[in-house]
Amino acid sequence: MTALDPAIAEVVLAFADDEHLMGQNHTEWIGVAPFLEEDLAYASIGQDELGHAAMLYATVLDSDEDAEIDRLAFFRQPDAYRSCSFVEWELRNWSDALVRHFMYDTAEELRWKLFVDSSNPRLQAAAERALSEERFHRRHAEALIDNLMRDQEAASRLHSSATKLSALAETMFSSVPGETQAVAVGICAAPFASQLEQWRDATSLRFGDLVWQPDTSRASRNQRHEDFAALHQRINTVFDLDRAAVW
Amino acid sequence: MIYEVFLKRDGRDEFRHVGALDAADDELAMLSARECYVRRGEGDRLWVIQRTHILVDDGDLIAPNADKPHRHHSGEAVAQRRREARERA
Repeated sequence: MTALDPAIAEVVLAFADDEHLMGQNHTEWIGVAPFLEEDLAYASIGQDELGHAAMLYATVLDSDEDAEIDRLAFFRQPDAYRSCSFVEWELRNWSDALVRHFMYDTAEELRWKLFVDSSNPRLQAAAERALSEERFHRRHAEALIDNLMRDQEAASRLHSSATKLSALAETMFSSVPGETQAVAVGICAAPFASQLEQWRDATSLRFGDLVWQPDTSRASRNQRHEDFAALHQRINTVFDLDRAAVW
Repeated sequence: MIYEVFLKRDGRDEFRHVGALDAADDELAMLSARECYVRRGEGDRLWVIQRTHILVDDGDLIAPNADKPHRHHSGEAVAQRRREARERA
């Protein structure tokens, strides 16, 4: 396999961290989603995202060694993560979580498409695998939202959630310095931000005209959202019982 | 609406009932079935049907057939007659 240049590896790491934290957020609806079918669907979709994260971490490391992947995924200091604020945000309202599910998966599908013809074989294979799953994630979110949008009260709540989430949603498209280099050597086809307009169109199609209120102060992937520390602690709860344990 | 979910493996296995789910429409029913019942590759083909579309007997239709011992046989009598026929031939 081919080890990535460190600057380019940051591009893949940013994607991996987004997938990891989004997957974790989804799985936290286990047992508390409004109804059983969505409880299970969120857990299942979350596990898919964690699987994508594992493939991306393996690409960063150029290794399939579980212990190495775990170390990178779980044991870094907060300032070494490259996730965006949108996936670090703690959303305890089901309406917010559903809108984030739609916004994230719509963006994620566009993002993976940039890696379909990657010059890196690991990324090419990962993109093929992930896209075979993503279309169902997006269909799931769309079908649920389209149903709820027919109800006036639900539509109003979803619209409020979409407006609220617009503050941080576009941080998904925030780049890292190595992205230009990654495009130049064919790791990805274009900067992720080039998909922003297409993503906005897809979002407007579902929620109508939104007043976009992006919080540009949180755009950098080098800073952590205030909810990150608690999320990171929850992720590591079991590991922290005994980091040397063999499972 | 309640939907019933059936799965089958490729090959000769028949469809088997695996459970039910609640969904707002057919699209959500199919997607929910995928996430709730097939997330570990439990089947290769999926049937999902609204419970109200299943024809259900009223009990009287098939109850009499539970008590027809003359329709049960082990096949031994037939086998004996075949043996006798072979010996005669």
